[in-house]
Amino acid sequence: MSAAEQFPYVPRDPALGLASLAPMLPLTLIGSQSIDTMGLVDSGAAVNVLPYSVGEQLGFDWDQETRSVELSGNLASVEARVVVLSAVIGNLPPVRQAFAWARTDDVPVILGQVNFFLEFDICFYRSRGMFEVRPKS
Amino acid sequence: MSLTELLSDIQSLSRLDKIRLIQILARDIEHDEADLIEAGQSYPVWSPDRAYSAAATMLDALDEDRLQP
Repeated sequence: MSAAEQFPYVPRDPALGLASLAPMLPLTLIGSQSIDTMGLVDSGAAVNVLPYSVGEQLGFDWDQETRSVELSGNLASVEARVVVLSAVIGNLPPVRQAFAWARTDDVPVILGQVNFFLEFDICFYRSRGMFEVRPKS
Repeated sequence: MSLTELLSDIQSLSRLDKIRLIQILARDIEHDEADLIEAGQSYPVWSPDRAYSAAATMLDALDEDRLQP
């Protein structure tokens, strides 16, 4: 079995303290450029989501990405297009990830079922304030 | 101070003080839990939880990506 990497829950809003703790995963996203960022590990999300400015920083051109997708929930009214890129988590090997690149920055990087959860097994230990990420076996 | 260190002191309390201590702790726990979700605060839920059509499109994109040299 592959080695798991452990990460802490982190507060997303200092004013809300414990109520805002979330499993935020540090990762490197690699397009034509690469950036270090944090992604919300969200088992309730059907798809990965990339904020607009992050996609731009990675070198994607909105007009060149023509495959549109419809999102739901708070993002239902937001236009989104599919981009595929590499993601590196800790010392784990890079994996290809498809993202719905949303035309808004009012959203975090979201790591959802397609295809983050298809590539990694995740264990949440909320009571201990940590979670584990393990490449699929 | 650990619970083990406190326990002998707690056990030496009178019955009435033990009941008071239980009430104080119960109130504290209830207060802590109530603080986790504050009235009037906004708690956005961004999960695109039923975006299955988007998920299917993204799986197709990944298949095409795998075929590229």
